[in-house]
Amino acid sequence: MSEPVLKIRNLIKTYPNGVQALKGVSFDVKKGEFLVVIGLSGSGKSTLLRCINRLHDPTSGEIVFNGVDAAKLQTTSEVRSLRKRIGMIFQHFNLIPRHTVLGNVLVGKLAYTSTWKSLFGLFSEGDKADALKYLKLVGISEKAHIRADQLSGGQQQRVAIARALTQNPEVLLADEPVASLDPATCHVVMDYLRKVNQELGITIICNLHFLSLVRIYATRVIALKGGELVYEGDPKNIDQAWFEKIYGEGAKEVHIN
Amino acid sequence: MKGNIVRRSILDGITVTVLGLVLISIVVDPTTEQLMNLKFNSFLFLALMVFGAMLSHLLNSIFGIKTLGQNLFEPDYEKAKAEAKPIYRTFWGWHFIVTLIVLFVVGLSKTQFSIIELLDEDGFEGAKRLFAGIFNPNWGVLPAAVLNIIETIFMAFLATMLAIPFAFILSFMAAKNIMRGPVSFGVYLFIRTFLNVTRSVEALVWAIIFSVWVGIGPFAGMLALMIHSIASLTKQYSEMVETVYEGPIEGVQSCGANKLQTIWFAIVPQVILPYISFTVYRWDINVRMATIIGLVGGGGIGTMLIKYQGQAMWPEVGTIIVVIAAVVWIMDQASAYIREALK
Repeated sequence: MSEPVLKIRNLIKTYPNGVQALKGVSFDVKKGEFLVVIGLSGSGKSTLLRCINRLHDPTSGEIVFNGVDAAKLQTTSEVRSLRKRIGMIFQHFNLIPRHTVLGNVLVGKLAYTSTWKSLFGLFSEGDKADALKYLKLVGISEKAHIRADQLSGGQQQRVAIARALTQNPEVLLADEPVASLDPATCHVVMDYLRKVNQELGITIICNLHFLSLVRIYATRVIALKGGELVYEGDPKNIDQAWFEKIYGEGAKEVHIN
Repeated sequence: MKGNIVRRSILDGITVTVLGLVLISIVVDPTTEQLMNLKFNSFLFLALMVFGAMLSHLLNSIFGIKTLGQNLFEPDYEKAKAEAKPIYRTFWGWHFIVTLIVLFVVGLSKTQFSIIELLDEDGFEGAKRLFAGIFNPNWGVLPAAVLNIIETIFMAFLATMLAIPFAFILSFMAAKNIMRGPVSFGVYLFIRTFLNVTRSVEALVWAIIFSVWVGIGPFAGMLALMIHSIASLTKQYSEMVETVYEGPIEGVQSCGANKLQTIWFAIVPQVILPYISFTVYRWDINVRMATIIGLVGGGGIGTMLIKYQGQAMWPEVGTIIVVIAAVVWIMDQASAYIREALK
């Protein structure tokens, strides 16, 4: 449990328009933990996750993943092999609407498949079996041959989880995974993430808005404010004083059940 | 210098130049020899342009009077500041009206517009003969006309089909959101420029070029249409690529997909229906263009039309026009229905 899977040191990200989204963030991610990142919109949470798998390029700092500094990777093939081991799910699911559920999940195998085979859709039987296994894990295997845009939001997010799992990742990044879902579906999706964390032992780094969800699911919490780390610790220790420090004075906690 | 100031200076410069040149021609009444003096006239044109641009700058910046160019091209936040006045109480309004009237009068003079010619009895009789012929088609040439229009339709069809693979591949290279990075952006600019030049050469001109190259006939017409279709389809396709949603792209990239896989899995599914729709429409346009291209030796119904027109055989021309109209109307309707169904 103690071995850090990710070591992030002094991470800075400045966008071309001059906005400084991350102002030197440092923290460790331990193997097998469910780390939740909280903070207001615009506090740099999404930027942080996207720097880890290099969807955004960090301006400076280190992101040490398995002994290699991911922030220094130059060639696209190096970046691709980094992404191969880090899955990601998104607020708006980011599935391919016109493809089937199974087709979407097989996208997780693209990094393992040669370009020509993948363009003709020639995935191996083993890959398909893998995809179906993970669809079963998120309880949606009966929808495998339906088009992804026919599913509800919660179902689409579960397909996205299966897609990320098909990559066989060590770390799963989740960017506001339940922000566009209704409260009931919220818990279903979060429960599947916890299952992935506990049963498969995959480390999860998850951005969340709702503190009530944080208390239920997180094993550890970090908080960002204006691109800086302002809190790191146990979710149970977030009291009213911390809450006001993170979200600003006069903010009230919203509960969802 | 800011883009809007450059545009303002050019527009105001041109309006002043046009007014100036018209005034000079009225006062001086130049001889043909003077009109043909390209060097002096270019100098005059440039001098008036510079004068106009300076005048525009003087009015806008020193006197705060808004010219037409300023009103048209100023940024939105400047527009929001302006108080609403009726157009006839503004300088730019009169600038616009005077320019338009002068252009209209010059147009009448340049096209030798003449009511007398239009109402001339002999000429009118000639037109009546022509119409009489066209409205009494000679159905004897119908079989030949049908065979020729089939040739025209297939010219258009093959040109469209052969253009698809080229346009498909080029469209991604001509899309700004895909061609990021210095090298890619260079390729993007090169392809865009190349396509714009290709497209600005009319299919008619391509037909003339190819009829010299491969000889007069449907093959030359087909090649001309193909070149034009590649350029047009690539532009339309690439505009669709530029409007795709970023979400699926991020999703596929996050799985470690390479560029080709990202395009194929995240972008192609989003653009495939509009692509088909544009392609059907392009075939429809190509059928109409193929007729015109036939006039300069591109084969098909156009070549047949110009042959009978040259001999003033109006009843035969009438038959051909009926056949063309019927096919164009059917193609137009069919392509509209297909495109509607693809939405």
